[in-house]
Amino acid sequence: MPDYGQIPVGSGTLDARLILGLAAVLFILGAVGVLVRRNPLVILVCIELMLNAANLTLITFAAQLHNLEGQLFALMTMTVAAAEAVVGLAILVDIFRVRDVDDVDQLSDLKG
Amino acid sequence: MALQATALVLLVLPLAGAFALAVLALRVPRWAVWAIGPGVVWAAFVCTLILLADSFLQDRAHDFTYWTWIQSGTFDLPANLLVDRLSIFMCLVITGVGGLIITYAVGYMEHETDPSYARFFCYMDLFVFSMLLLVLAGNFVFLIMGWALVGLSSYLLIGFYYWRYSAVVAARKAFVMNVIGDIGMILAAFAIFVNYHSLTFSGVFAALPRADATWVEIIGFLLLVGAVAKSAQLPLHTWLPDAMEGPTPVSALIHAATMVTAGVYLIGRMHPIYDVAVWAQGTAALIGAVTALMAASIAVVQTDIKRVLAYSTMSQIGYMFLAVGVGAYAAGFFHLLGHAFFKALLFLAAGNVIHALNGEQDMRRYGGLWRQMRWTSVCFLIGSLSLTGIFPLVGFWSKEVVLGDVFSKPGTTYFPQALWAIGFATAILTGFYTGRMWWMSFAGRPSADRPVEHPHEASRVMLVPVAVLTVLTAVGGFIQINAGFHPGYKLVEDFLAPTLGHLPWHARDLEYIPTAATLLLGGVAFLAAYRFYVSFVWRPWSGAVPRLQRLLEHKYYFDEAYDQMFVRPMDAIASGADRTMEEPVLEGAPAGVAVATQAGAGALSLTQTGYFRTYILVFLAGVVVAAVVLLLVRAF
Amino acid sequence: MSLPQVVFWVMAVVAVLGGLGVVAFRRPINSVLSLVAVMLALSVIFLELSAQFVFAVQVIVYAGAVMVLFLFVVALLGPVRERSTGRVPFHRGVAAVVVLAFAGLLIAFITSAGIRFRAPEQASLAVFGTVQQIGAGLFTTYLYPFELTSILLLVAAVGAIYLSRGGQAASEVRGRELRGPGAAPATDANEKEDRRA
Repeated sequence: MPDYGQIPVGSGTLDARLILGLAAVLFILGAVGVLVRRNPLVILVCIELMLNAANLTLITFAAQLHNLEGQLFALMTMTVAAAEAVVGLAILVDIFRVRDVDDVDQLSDLKG
Repeated sequence: MALQATALVLLVLPLAGAFALAVLALRVPRWAVWAIGPGVVWAAFVCTLILLADSFLQDRAHDFTYWTWIQSGTFDLPANLLVDRLSIFMCLVITGVGGLIITYAVGYMEHETDPSYARFFCYMDLFVFSMLLLVLAGNFVFLIMGWALVGLSSYLLIGFYYWRYSAVVAARKAFVMNVIGDIGMILAAFAIFVNYHSLTFSGVFAALPRADATWVEIIGFLLLVGAVAKSAQLPLHTWLPDAMEGPTPVSALIHAATMVTAGVYLIGRMHPIYDVAVWAQGTAALIGAVTALMAASIAVVQTDIKRVLAYSTMSQIGYMFLAVGVGAYAAGFFHLLGHAFFKALLFLAAGNVIHALNGEQDMRRYGGLWRQMRWTSVCFLIGSLSLTGIFPLVGFWSKEVVLGDVFSKPGTTYFPQALWAIGFATAILTGFYTGRMWWMSFAGRPSADRPVEHPHEASRVMLVPVAVLTVLTAVGGFIQINAGFHPGYKLVEDFLAPTLGHLPWHARDLEYIPTAATLLLGGVAFLAAYRFYVSFVWRPWSGAVPRLQRLLEHKYYFDEAYDQMFVRPMDAIASGADRTMEEPVLEGAPAGVAVATQAGAGALSLTQTGYFRTYILVFLAGVVVAAVVLLLVRAF
Repeated sequence: MSLPQVVFWVMAVVAVLGGLGVVAFRRPINSVLSLVAVMLALSVIFLELSAQFVFAVQVIVYAGAVMVLFLFVVALLGPVRERSTGRVPFHRGVAAVVVLAFAGLLIAFITSAGIRFRAPEQASLAVFGTVQQIGAGLFTTYLYPFELTSILLLVAAVGAIYLSRGGQAASEVRGRELRGPGAAPATDANEKEDRRA
């Protein structure tokens, strides 16, 4: 059975598993960052990292399956990421205008 | 066809009046209440006259079926009204005397506020409808419906002054004892249905000849329970004196003229049953006689004028029970008619006095009203003499018919004669307490404690019904003159004969001797009361026999006995159940649910930590779990 | 190794280092710049995977606009201290467990034991990933998602404008909203007493 995981690229092939592995690593790095870091801004950045990793996965499969839907989905994801970043940053700026946030745990007004 | 409609209109008009007053109660002006309240009853009276005229012309009974109410397999229950001589007779009493009393009440209740005023007449019209339903019913279901509705109306009207604790308690007592009677009636209906598979009067009476005598006896006794409760005879009599808490017109209409006579009507209507169930019938007669004597003895020591009249009612209904209990149906119903006249008269006249003296009902605070309330005094006197049985008032004729028929009844035992002796003693006592009542209230000097110095005579709207009843009392007796005197005409008996039959036995030759004795001794007792209570020439016997006095004042301790036997145990059961079942379970369950929900919600709310990082962690963990599940699913 | 593979490996290394930088740097400005590096590396990989248009969009829009926005905010907020207030105990431990589990899962998925590739669909390699093809897809089959995404962008824009309305009064109002009714102005002392027992 041919190994469909090999994506023909130019003169050679790329192993899809490697690319997916890279995406997984980046995703886990992003998850770790979200969980560990305390600065809310950095947390947002890590979320963007995770989104990029997801985009990479989508593009990879689009190339492997020769299906354009992956790329279109990636475009949508990018749009959503942009919108979410905008709103998140606006909220963050608002909060920072009022008080200095050392630790994202301080933002716990919705407790209970 | 027109007759069928007339009967229906007769029945429905008071109900429509009650409904109209209930709906409009807050907005209706006085004059509208005057028009509707008594108006519908008088209109019903006119319908009754139409039915009466037809009864004379056509001389047959009508069983009108309006529609078939229950159709179940082989059992049909029609919604039918029975219009025969007996029911027309009762309707005349209800609508005629009732109309007079309700008209009287227009003046008596004038001090009430407008909504209260309308409420009173609404309840009165409801009562008239219920009573009409009772007497016009053609099947047991309607009868019991009317029976229960009458009890309801009585409850509503006794407790009319609902802000008074004593009134509410009295209403409840009356209702509970009436319910005991209702249970007897319902059980009787069950027994009838099981045995005869029919609930219409015509169906049941037709099936009686081939019926099992034991079952008929049982049915007779069960119906008797209902009659005894409704008519306040021993042992279910304790509610009637307390029922005097209601306004005086209520006492006049319900507890003198109509509702309490429903038991008598029942026995009369069920006479085919009682002709077979001789034991039940004999029990009825015995209860009647004993109640008559007992009530008369209690009446001697009562100080509240309405209570005297209440016990007097109990006593006179005992006479009616005695009459129908021995089979002298016409006599019983004649006494019912006469009693309706003079007892309503007495109550309304007493109402005049109470109204004039700002609600004072204690006779010891009366005295000397003869001078200031001449008309009322005269009417009251005529009523009292009629009650005592003085010639030529209606009370003489009706009581004489009852006692005479009982005396003359043939038989192997002397049971009727023994009952007659009790009735005779009662008559003497009746004269005594009635005389006491009149002398104390109207003769002698005004009491020092009288609340109103110069009481006015009653207004015209209150005097006219009293006057009408006085006339009826005076001349009403001549419609039935017993054969004991001379071959007289017996209009009542002849009128009711198509339904109740004629008296099976003839008067004995010597019947006029007991009659004369009753008349004489009753009159003597009436006069004797003067010497006891007004001129104080003779020492009041209450001082001579203090124990007896106390026994009578406590009404033979019936109330205390019932309290111990029934009320206290029920109270204990109820409060015990409340403590063990109601509070923990019925209140605990919803409260428990609430507490549990709150606890659950409290526990769940712990997940809302407010910390962003824990939320993310949970997301991630959830993704892991979901992925594992997916893996497993795909693996298998 | 062929050229594409070399390029891939280089870019992969860059991306991983960038990712580590995002997570590890203390100063947020450094994190943001690391993310930019990651994005650029990824865009090259996109290009290799016949996603020309996505490559361009990633560079221009994502790295070029969104990241610049992040940079602006970082500049606006100034130096930010990062200090633990110790409110969520055991967080690190549980997080480690979960992340390890997740990593294990991903590895399981990706290694040849877990994943089974399907055969690629027949598609013309010449036009795959071109602007024309993407345009055709977006405006015909996937018109609804496209339009909805547009609305989403509009909503985000409106929201951002509202939230960042300037002026003393607006920020005072929002400050009161954030601090809650009747609370004193936020200071470190107040934050400390907010600690849960």
